[in-house]
Amino acid sequence: MLEVEGLTKQFSSGIMKKRNVSAVDCVSFHIKKGKTLGLVGESGCGKTTIGRLILRLVEPTSGKVVFDGIDLLSLKRSELRKIRPRMQMIFQDPDSSLNPRLKIGTSIAEPLRLHGTVPKDERAQKIMELVETVGLNPEHVNRYPYQLSGGQNQRVVLARILALNPDLIIADEPTSSLDVSVQAQILNLMRDLQKKFNHTYLFISHDLEVVKIMSDQIAVMYLGKLVEVGETTDVYNNAKHPYTQALLSSRRILLKGETPGPADIPTGCRFHPRCPQKQDKCAIEEPEPVEVEKGHYVACHLV
Amino acid sequence: MRISDLKTNFPTPDGIVRAVDTIDLSIRDTETFGLIGETGCGKTVLGLTIMRLLHPAATMEGEIIYKGKNLLEASEAEMRTIRGREIAIILQNPTTSLNPVMRVGEQIAEAIRLHQGLNKKDAAAKAVEMLDAVRIPSPSQRANEYPHEFSGGMKQRVMIAMGLACNPSFIIADEPTKGLDVTIKAQIVELMKEMTERKAMLLITHDLSVARELCDRIALMYAGELVEYAPLKGIFESPLHPYTRGFLGSLPERGLVPIPGMSPSLIDFPDGCRFHPRCEHATEVCRREHPELVEFNAGHFVRCHHARS
Repeated sequence: MLEVEGLTKQFSSGIMKKRNVSAVDCVSFHIKKGKTLGLVGESGCGKTTIGRLILRLVEPTSGKVVFDGIDLLSLKRSELRKIRPRMQMIFQDPDSSLNPRLKIGTSIAEPLRLHGTVPKDERAQKIMELVETVGLNPEHVNRYPYQLSGGQNQRVVLARILALNPDLIIADEPTSSLDVSVQAQILNLMRDLQKKFNHTYLFISHDLEVVKIMSDQIAVMYLGKLVEVGETTDVYNNAKHPYTQALLSSRRILLKGETPGPADIPTGCRFHPRCPQKQDKCAIEEPEPVEVEKGHYVACHLV
Repeated sequence: MRISDLKTNFPTPDGIVRAVDTIDLSIRDTETFGLIGETGCGKTVLGLTIMRLLHPAATMEGEIIYKGKNLLEASEAEMRTIRGREIAIILQNPTTSLNPVMRVGEQIAEAIRLHQGLNKKDAAAKAVEMLDAVRIPSPSQRANEYPHEFSGGMKQRVMIAMGLACNPSFIIADEPTKGLDVTIKAQIVELMKEMTERKAMLLITHDLSVARELCDRIALMYAGELVEYAPLKGIFESPLHPYTRGFLGSLPERGLVPIPGMSPSLIDFPDGCRFHPRCEHATEVCRREHPELVEFNAGHFVRCHHARS
């Protein structure tokens, strides 16, 4: 359903001396229809940028994005607009994703109106149907976002997305601002909807436990690059990259220091200054991804 | 510290917000006590009540006895000698808690000068010492920088340095790991473990994995009151209250089973047990009678009509 190859985004930074900063560097993965890829990484690693690049909310520098056989990067703006309803995004903070001055019902009607998928006289019924699908009550339609909780607003966001009947949903930390008991409600709803409508998910998160339960495949990102990609069970049971191992160790492996900014990327392997297992080679040569078992790729000199 | 019958109310146009409602608990000299709860359950208000840092309109009842003294009866002048020196708070959200136009070293030194009466030079030296203690590299140079030059994890270290600068014996830490990355969170948990070893700490958090590593005892707070508290093991291995069980069950690593419904507002509680509208075991008595907090096993307290092991 979605194939991403060599996706790269460089931003230029600095006023006097222009230089290029790679936020996303040569990232490749693919997701099959109806499946979920979990993209894990810490803040600033470029995971949100990947989501935006796929939808062309930010234009990539190079690379290829193929969605259902269509090369997205070669499309003209008008052609892209026709395809956009099929690819939707959920953002982190539901309260700021909704127009505070629109009633919930109006917010849900907006995508129906803009894309004209449902005739005018059937819209009210369609809205009620969507409201029920995401587990809201009919009376919520006449309320405003500030009268609803964060979890309920995230349900409204989901209803808006379902209105367009998308194939691909990019969810960028959809539950990180919610309490655990509400997070469980929203994640369960997303899983139910996926089963019902056969959605393909790119699930972006920093929470490894959440990603584990939501994803079929996992991609671990560090400083703009994927360091490990594979089936969820393979990555969790048999992590090969020292960064993945540290993330999964539930704090038993302590990493020194912090992630450097994308403006000063270390030479060789990007992770080597923090790596507990680094060797001389790691500071000089950048490792290429190697397939360690079927579909399980690791970019590390040690494997 | 012994807290008994503590109530904190806020008058609002919509009614009285009962943020902390009849809380009884005592925290021993060197223990870390975890207070777990979801947004809006009143846990932060409890921390601020102990520090007496609430809005003047808030009303407080009950007792907070610390070293033989009732903090609720202390004058503002007395509180000023207690805050920072005896009881310190590490606030959540370091980005908004630090002054953006003041050098980091000066912010720590200010607290030291105010509470310990050191002169400017000695306070500045102590501030650098504290930055070193929380493992900020090249501390004397970093002391001259501004908060925006620090990363989120580093700012949280500064908050810890500031809280511990005057060597308090009681620490209130309000969500000290909120918003931090996984690998940075691990570093902060390790640092807190080390720095608070011989101190009493009230750790306020919604993150059970952090509480599990730092706490000796844990209390669950729901709708302004404690619903269960016990030693760490009791909560994780034999939780008694349906809310505690639901909270644990909704964690992704424990199967992601949500608790239906939402927490009630602190203005209008349900009758009887406050959790009954969301509880699958609720019966007639739960709808009618508000349960008391009772000791079920030694040291394991629970507020439920149907508590069973």
